[in-house]
Amino acid sequence: MRPSPKVVAALATLPLALAACGGGETSNTPAAPSSIASASTDNRSVKDGGTLNIALNADPDALDPSISTTLVGREVFANMCEKLYDIDASSNLIPQLAAGMPEVAGDGKEVTIKLRDGVTFNDGTAFDAAAVKKSLDRHRTWEKSARAADLAAVSKVEVVDPTTVKLTLAQAFTPLTAQLADRAGMIMSPKALDSGSDNFGASPVCVGPFKFASRTSGSQIVLDKSADYYDAAKVKLDKLVYKIIVDPNVRAANLKSGDVQVADQLATNTVAGVQADPNLSVVSGGGLGYYGFQINIGNVSGSTEKPGAVDTPLGKNPQLREAFELALDRDAINKAVYNGLHEVDCYPVPIDSPYRPKDLTCPKQDLAKAKQLVQASGVQTPIAVTLATPNDAVNQRLAQVIQSMTKEAGFNVSVQTAEFVSVLEQGKAGKFDVLLSGWSGRVDPDGNLTNLVTSQGSNNYGGMSDAGIDDPIKQAAAESDPAKRAELYGAAMKKAAELRGVVYLYHNLYYLGTHKTVAGIQYFKDGLPRFISAGFAA
Amino acid sequence: MFWFILRRCGSAVLVLFLSSVLIFLGIRALPGDPASVMAGQEASQAAIEAIRKEFGLDKPLPAQYLDYVGQTLTGNFGRSTQDQLPVADILAERLPVTLELSLLAMVVAIVIGVGAGIVAAVRRGKLADYVATAFGLAGLSVPHFWLGLLGILLFAVTWRVLPASGYVPFTEDPVQNLQRMILPALVLGTGFAAILMRQTRSAMLGALSADYVRTARSKGLSEAKVVGAHALRNSLTTVVTVLGLQLGALISGAVVTEQIFVIPGFGKLTVDAVLTRNYPVIQAVVLVTVIGYVLVNLLVDIAYAFLNPRIRLSGGTRD
Repeated sequence: MRPSPKVVAALATLPLALAACGGGETSNTPAAPSSIASASTDNRSVKDGGTLNIALNADPDALDPSISTTLVGREVFANMCEKLYDIDASSNLIPQLAAGMPEVAGDGKEVTIKLRDGVTFNDGTAFDAAAVKKSLDRHRTWEKSARAADLAAVSKVEVVDPTTVKLTLAQAFTPLTAQLADRAGMIMSPKALDSGSDNFGASPVCVGPFKFASRTSGSQIVLDKSADYYDAAKVKLDKLVYKIIVDPNVRAANLKSGDVQVADQLATNTVAGVQADPNLSVVSGGGLGYYGFQINIGNVSGSTEKPGAVDTPLGKNPQLREAFELALDRDAINKAVYNGLHEVDCYPVPIDSPYRPKDLTCPKQDLAKAKQLVQASGVQTPIAVTLATPNDAVNQRLAQVIQSMTKEAGFNVSVQTAEFVSVLEQGKAGKFDVLLSGWSGRVDPDGNLTNLVTSQGSNNYGGMSDAGIDDPIKQAAAESDPAKRAELYGAAMKKAAELRGVVYLYHNLYYLGTHKTVAGIQYFKDGLPRFISAGFAA
Repeated sequence: MFWFILRRCGSAVLVLFLSSVLIFLGIRALPGDPASVMAGQEASQAAIEAIRKEFGLDKPLPAQYLDYVGQTLTGNFGRSTQDQLPVADILAERLPVTLELSLLAMVVAIVIGVGAGIVAAVRRGKLADYVATAFGLAGLSVPHFWLGLLGILLFAVTWRVLPASGYVPFTEDPVQNLQRMILPALVLGTGFAAILMRQTRSAMLGALSADYVRTARSKGLSEAKVVGAHALRNSLTTVVTVLGLQLGALISGAVVTEQIFVIPGFGKLTVDAVLTRNYPVIQAVVLVTVIGYVLVNLLVDIAYAFLNPRIRLSGGTRD
């Protein structure tokens, strides 16, 4: 009945001892990103069988390629829903369910795609041109589809023969192949579409190395190895279990404890701890997307509405916007907020993209010039600016760093935090001065620009509207010569950098934590771990 | 008695109606449009409109309310806007998980809290008392998320004796289920144990100084019998009252614990649904919770009336 005083005393001091352990965990000096292997294929040989547990950082939305909009959703699709095209380790487009690259004719308005032969969906239904037409038409025309914009250029899909489809375009659209390498190119089983109708996402069936088995809402998604897959011999694992673990510390802890063998999108402050564990390794991927902030310069009644004059110091005065950017030190931001683990840049297209002209440079921090510009503007300092940010710790830290850096130039930034959803609403409605926002990124530069910087684009929250941006982006989409496209995108990006409706800070890299016992994971720039040839090391 | 029960049922229905209106209006007062959340960043205006239409969000508020009540009365709460799964299925999956967690946490709280309370009272002014009191203070002050992370770090990462997080249904694998529930139950139960400890201690102190305890001692009863059979028994009424009052708090405390331990329970569902403006799920979750509270209160009222006739007569009703 009476506990020994020694035991009680030991128990009483336990939390303090543990707190000391916990503190040591995160205070390690972070390694520079160069010490982390980048997007690669691990070629160690693997044995047959086994269940791989993967931690996802968020709960995917509906597993329906036509309506899905989350990056985590794409991570699951990458292993169960193949597309007409895919990307390889160097971000080149390669055929997946197509038998070759598309044949383009008629001034770019006729695109013929040959399909793989002898492929079946994971319910045994044959994969053919009719199935491709059914899926593409659903993506294009279903009123709820989030893919309609991706395939807006396509006006007709025809079955030429069982292994050939022909797409007729209203105008030439070079990014089409890249669109077909994402969800717009995912082909769903026609049988499952007929029986599931609008609720395909509850039990999705595609062509893929794994097939959907079950989903517990908010908790986990299970995929089983598919017996119908055309390249089934390549697939080693029996089962994939995606566990939704939102908290970054808990995600890292699960990886260390061995409860999961793979953890996606490690938070930058947990990367060093995972790297330090002798049983774990970290690979980096991603870099297609970006993060930064939008400045409201023309969004008066909604991002898709006609832009107007915004009556704020930053909105009215390009000099002040330049001063605001010049006050920022991107490298210092990267170090202070992200342990130096992202790729600093001031343009939306990835640094190594072939569509990016080499002459694009970023302004360095220049406080003297910033102060001079502020003074020349004649606006009385301190200039009040509100900065809207999602209320998570990392975004708040970024906001505070921006706040303190711009203070020296004469800005008085007040940080307004709200939940992510509310911040997006503010952005769309134009109810902000400056707003933190990012984009997960696409292989084709068009996906990082149209809708984001062109007039009345749905994600152009800052309301930029300029023919010098709109026209080259439009022309580049119709142009097939990569060099000419790069030139046009360069012109558009330079103009956007002058207007500063968006100020880009960095390209976000993703860090995938894995157990060293797991081999064969493909992790590319799109940040989607592919487990087709993964398994436990032999 | 019949009229008393009928009257109570009538007021329960009124409470349910008023809460359904409050829930309905409350979530719509939040900024953020569920259709655009669901459609995502990339969606066109047409897709957002289509979703709004599908979920009836384009209708005027009274019509939306009638849809909601109509659906609820037939036990069909609609489909979740997040993953398109039927809300009724999600609730059926989630509710037992939180109930299990709360129940286990309660067991933890009773064992630790009542035990420590007795020790503290019996050893008043001695080391054990100070340690138990310090534990009580710490238990009340330490936030669940911190304790949870600490538990994971120690038991799962350092010692590797328990899984870090996750949930396995009891029917699937009872051992795994308990292994995964121990840590969350301990974390959730600690704060509650602290409250119980303090209540038990003060009730026991009162009882131990009472005349009947002195009598029991002078009769030559063993100390264990005096404490267990006499003092504790008389202190339990307070403990049981607190236990009942805290049950609700325990379920709401599960919100944080479930987030940390990735347990697919009611609390996690609520937070996720609010963050994604998942109207059908929020409406269903809050309504089911209100129904739970109303039912418990109704049963308590009826039980009181059975036990104490003055209560059923005080309202001027006759049976």
